[in-house]
Amino acid sequence: MTADDTRRVIVWLGIGAIVLATGAAIAGDPYLGKKGTIDVDVLARTVTQEDDHVTAVELAGWIRERRAHVRVIDVRSEKEFDEYHIPTAERIPLGSLTSARFAPTETIVLYSEGGAHAAQGWVFLRALGHQRVFFLRGGLNEWLEEVMSPTVGTRPSHADSVTSALSKYFGGTPQLGERAPATVARLRRRGC
Amino acid sequence: MRAPLYELGAFGNTAALFVAVLIGVAFGWCLERAGMGSARKLAGQFYFTDLTVFKVMFSAIVTAMLGAFWLGRIGWLDLSRVYVPETFAVPQLVGGLVFGVGFVVGGLCPGTSCVAAATGRGDGMMLVAGMFSGAIASGLGFRTLEPLYSSTPLGTLTLPQALHLPYGVVVALVVLVALGGFRGAEWIESRVNARAS
Repeated sequence: MTADDTRRVIVWLGIGAIVLATGAAIAGDPYLGKKGTIDVDVLARTVTQEDDHVTAVELAGWIRERRAHVRVIDVRSEKEFDEYHIPTAERIPLGSLTSARFAPTETIVLYSEGGAHAAQGWVFLRALGHQRVFFLRGGLNEWLEEVMSPTVGTRPSHADSVTSALSKYFGGTPQLGERAPATVARLRRRGC
Repeated sequence: MRAPLYELGAFGNTAALFVAVLIGVAFGWCLERAGMGSARKLAGQFYFTDLTVFKVMFSAIVTAMLGAFWLGRIGWLDLSRVYVPETFAVPQLVGGLVFGVGFVVGGLCPGTSCVAAATGRGDGMMLVAGMFSGAIASGLGFRTLEPLYSSTPLGTLTLPQALHLPYGVVVALVVLVALGGFRGAEWIESRVNARAS
């Protein structure tokens, strides 16, 4: 290769660098990761007002009445999902949640085994700007306890009848027995 | 296939070490072919008679930067998984000063001293011996050095963050500076060498 050939190659490499650099200036961000922003005051207010979660009974009601645009998302592992999942649920693991597509009109309900992972997913989606996101506070454990095998009184009240009907709709088996006092039941549900 | 390959589990520790050796050999071979194993050539940098080091190193920076940017942009490289060393202002300034003095005194930098040693040059071997001795001495005296070592931490700082400019704009600016630098280096070399002859 002569000196002229070398110089020609260098010039073309320089032109290539200029073209790529000019393209870079207008191409946007090369990072793949999504960047979200959190308004911590808004999030704190939402949590304080308990607008961040649904109960298992509320979710069961939404599913039974086929409420429009509700997507129930199971963030657990594939094995756990295959063993048992809430009817109509789809599995999106926590790591893929931020790259999943959700329409602005959809109501998203996340659940995990207990509730912690779903709550973390709730923060991710809120940070990405999704407004209608909830998590199942007590997770699948609450679903199994409150929907699939709820305790109803030996002398059923109207509320017990509604609970039994809801449970039976999902194939559950209401248990006869003493219901835990309301305060105890609420504290137990919060234990996630 | 997505990169970084090791970070994303494309291969394990053993394969990663094997690939590292291959890349190291390729890097050394390229440095040697570019004449970087010669202290005489490298010393030309400080007399402005031969600015090859500047041109090779800046070319490498520009090539890697454009490659990383565009691979990231088309989705083949997850830049968030690429490790960025943390900035510690004062210890890195001191380290840079030591590096620069060593470069001027020895005529070789760490990478090129390995190339020189591998090609059987005595000066390269002495520099490699000195480098390892220095590393061992720093390790043994680390408790004394630690306050300096961990002082003035600035976290993982990149040019776009420091300049508050978009990543792509910084890429374009660095390329323009590099091309201007190459042109300037050629001009300086021709002026200095013409005066010497």
